[in-house]
Amino acid sequence: MDNAIIIGAGPAGLTAAVTCAEKGLDVVVIDEYMRAGGRLLGQLYEEPNGNWWNGIKESNKLYEKAVDLGVNFHLNTAVNNIENSNGIWTIYTERETFHTPSLLLATGAAEAPVPVPGWTLPGVMSVGAAQVMTNVHRVKPGERGVIIGVNVLSAAIAMELQLAGVEVASLTLPKTNQVTQDAGKPKEVLDSLLHVSHMAPSPFVRYGSKLMKNDFMKKLGVNFFPKKGVKMWDIPIQLRKAVTKIYGEDEVEGVTLATINADGEVVSGSEEHIPVDFVCIAGGLYPLAELAAVAGCPFYLVEELGGYVPLHNERMESPLEGLYVAGNITGIEGAKVAAAQGRTAGLSMAHHAGMDDLDGEIKNSIKRTEQTRDNAHIQFHPEIETGRKKILQQWDAYQSNKERSVVSNSRGGIT
Amino acid sequence: MTRRILDHPILGKMEDNNYVSFTFNQKGYKGLENESLAAALLANGIRTLRHHEESGSPRGIYCNIGHCYECRVSVDGQQGIRACLTPVKEGMTVESDGQLPSSKRR
Amino acid sequence: MKEDEMIICRCEEVSYEELKTTAAKYKCSARELKLRTRAGMGYCGGRSCRTMVDKIAATSANDRNRTCVSLKYQPPIRPISFKNLGG
Repeated sequence: MDNAIIIGAGPAGLTAAVTCAEKGLDVVVIDEYMRAGGRLLGQLYEEPNGNWWNGIKESNKLYEKAVDLGVNFHLNTAVNNIENSNGIWTIYTERETFHTPSLLLATGAAEAPVPVPGWTLPGVMSVGAAQVMTNVHRVKPGERGVIIGVNVLSAAIAMELQLAGVEVASLTLPKTNQVTQDAGKPKEVLDSLLHVSHMAPSPFVRYGSKLMKNDFMKKLGVNFFPKKGVKMWDIPIQLRKAVTKIYGEDEVEGVTLATINADGEVVSGSEEHIPVDFVCIAGGLYPLAELAAVAGCPFYLVEELGGYVPLHNERMESPLEGLYVAGNITGIEGAKVAAAQGRTAGLSMAHHAGMDDLDGEIKNSIKRTEQTRDNAHIQFHPEIETGRKKILQQWDAYQSNKERSVVSNSRGGIT
Repeated sequence: MTRRILDHPILGKMEDNNYVSFTFNQKGYKGLENESLAAALLANGIRTLRHHEESGSPRGIYCNIGHCYECRVSVDGQQGIRACLTPVKEGMTVESDGQLPSSKRR
Repeated sequence: MKEDEMIICRCEEVSYEELKTTAAKYKCSARELKLRTRAGMGYCGGRSCRTMVDKIAATSANDRNRTCVSLKYQPPIRPISFKNLGG
């Protein structure tokens, strides 16, 4: 039996592990990837103060700190199922079975695709896959590619590819349909970019947010989407184009690019062939919460948080005894916010293990999470704070419902 | 021409250079010890890792972090192994998982 | 390849057209759409296509009560080989 088990070795899980271990708990961390760090590993961007945020270095720092504190890592180990019986969680992996009274799910996020005809061809990959290949494995995803889907994440990764000497021929839109919806409409995409422009990642930050609003965004907006697009970091951003097809015999050979109107409709006859050897699909991230679902945790759809999130409170507790959540499983935000949530979760788990006098520390940690959110340079949804409030309101409603049903049960004499 | 990013303006020079030998569909390749099989194969210019069981359409790396299962191959005789989560070892024998002979589309 | 023939579920090779047509015909929930087409029921457990199937279902369905649900996930969430099941 371990005092605490953490599934997911990303920024949230690692920070929680360090926090629990500092409080004297025996901690096990399980992750199916070969290295600790999660999505943090791939991150590489320049902060406004000129320092580079190097995900590999940050991951190693956290990992080494955890190892020094005696945290037991089981990497390359996939979890299949979790179950609770009499207050003890059982974690089934492909190798061993673990038991703990205190379990943290820090499983992060998965990528939501935008489908394009031909997207099963080898050479088509998610934009996150290209990021990991380039920055973590140091292998080029290809010599020249296009990225389909314009959002904060894809803009940041386009810049990272360029930095590594990989040519990005175009950062452009998918064709609008029932799946891609607004992601294929130039007007909507431009609006979503304007919303986050004041705190967007490096390629924007580099120019200063003021300059960007006045120059870059004006170029995009006032000139009403020049057909050739505008260049950012030498990467053409083409909001008036959409990929209608990825072609190739056995692997990617190119894409068909068409002009679209402001509503995303294809201008017929405008199609041209762009030869490329890889394509990135960028539909954004959504919380990966399968294990919380298997455990029976209630879920809510909160668009601002990126999708369905398991119910939780500010202390990172789920409604299930001994089950905690932290990081992107609770909503899509940057690594620094995830780490701050991980610290709160770790403190809550130490409290659960019987450690007293942690209330002050937990309160401070919650406050620090909010501050981190306020200062974040990467914001995936403009209304993130609204999303956070929504889930807390759901928590309150759930708790008062539960109390009411307990009261009515006792009155009615139902056991 | 190598597909490896040996020098990076921010991340610096690659430090690993412990190359090991493995085979993919009976052909010999070199990869860095403990890098992912998916990375090693891509560094060798290989994109097609398997063919769909029913249609036989070619598939390669999609998510690169274990979510999508598109990169599954046979490693030392064991089927359904995700290349993106498998560290390369000396002497590893890797085969494409392929179309099942009895499969016919509805 | 036309847009309608484009694959949505990569594991089971379920097309956009099949999903659209089924959703329009039955005006069903995302879960029912999955069961009818097998989209999301393949090797990856729906991790790749779940968000897309949800969107197609939401377009046609009277699926108004989408905000509060218990997500239907069946363990194991990762495939287990027969060899390991025995242990």
